[in-house]
Amino acid sequence: MSATVEALDRRVWAALRDVQDPEMPVNLVDLGLIYGVETLEGHVRVRLTFTAMGCPATEMIMDDIRERLLREPGVASVDLDVVWDPPWSAARLTGTGREALLAWGLSV
Amino acid sequence: MEASNSARFDTLLKRGELIESMSEMTPDYLKELKHTLIVSGDTELISAPAYYLAAKKAPSVNAFMTGIAIIQDELAHAHIAYHILEELGESQEYLIFKRDPKDFRYPYAFDVPLESWTELVTANALYDQAGFNLLGDIHEQCSYGPWKRGLVKVMAEENFHLRNGRNWMKRISQAGGAAKDELQQAVDWMFPLTVEWFGLPDNLKQHSAQLDYRLKGLTNDQLRQAWLSTVVPFLDSIGINAPAHQEGNAWVLSYPFPSTFDADDKRWDFNDPCTWDDVLSRWRARGPRNAEMVALFQESFHKFQVRA
Repeated sequence: MSATVEALDRRVWAALRDVQDPEMPVNLVDLGLIYGVETLEGHVRVRLTFTAMGCPATEMIMDDIRERLLREPGVASVDLDVVWDPPWSAARLTGTGREALLAWGLSV
Repeated sequence: MEASNSARFDTLLKRGELIESMSEMTPDYLKELKHTLIVSGDTELISAPAYYLAAKKAPSVNAFMTGIAIIQDELAHAHIAYHILEELGESQEYLIFKRDPKDFRYPYAFDVPLESWTELVTANALYDQAGFNLLGDIHEQCSYGPWKRGLVKVMAEENFHLRNGRNWMKRISQAGGAAKDELQQAVDWMFPLTVEWFGLPDNLKQHSAQLDYRLKGLTNDQLRQAWLSTVVPFLDSIGINAPAHQEGNAWVLSYPFPSTFDADDKRWDFNDPCTWDDVLSRWRARGPRNAEMVALFQESFHKFQVRA
């Protein structure tokens, strides 16, 4: 893997941390929704899930991801791959995510 | 209440401390608190049937889910207010299921039918913004502890409604053509209704017990200005005309306030300014959907009552 590709991967992850969940004070990475990032010559593919199949904010979240990633230099296109396996659970929260939700009054 | 309790209440209030229980309140404070909670509960409750009519017109499955989730949030917010009222000695059952439709105390705007997805998302951006300003003020200033704390999650959820409204309005405006025209028409009748929502101008309202008791912190005009300062720049940014502009630090309406509104036609007559007494009469008479919306939940309640 070249240094540039590695750098873009890293920048995509950082950019995804800028995207907040619309309902809770936590970003998508700390919430554990992002399963993987692949980049190839400016094309970004993000594998992600949602906390529930009935999540009412999926379109809002996907719009926010596209909008943020397309602002990242070197990103030409964004492909979002929504997966339900493995299913999301609170175990996927990072330490920061857990703290943010606890502070907000959610038991996780 | 004994005189010593009344003095203790005054001290708590003056020191900016929170009132936590009925035993700490004066009867007049309790009355004002209940009134404020009823307006808040009724507003959240009635927004559910008001939004539902339009949510059915959602343009995608997930958009429908968003609409329904917003309705669920509003019902939960209503539940918080009625639950506190119950703790303060009121009957939730009476308030929701047995009151006359005309006795509900929600803004007149909800009585005018929202009939399309465009009107729903405009309501999310304009009406929910008004709710956000009013509840945000209560959240920051309210002297009654249990309500102040209950509003933390309410504020986060209202933010979700606002985002839904704004994202969709932006998208509809970008689509242009007939879609954008429909959006402009929705704003044309809904904007002045929301301006009215904040109530009498300060120069006509001599005294506010809600402010004295720190049930809220901002006056009607201050709240109206806060709403205008958010909504007008947003509408400008998406290329939709707003009937207001900035002069110095103040936002000024470009039409006579108040004016006459024809609810059946969803049309304002800005050539026919009216008095606040006329507005208050229109509010008291309620609008087209009042009885129907209240009946929506009251009918089933009565149907399933077990008779003794």
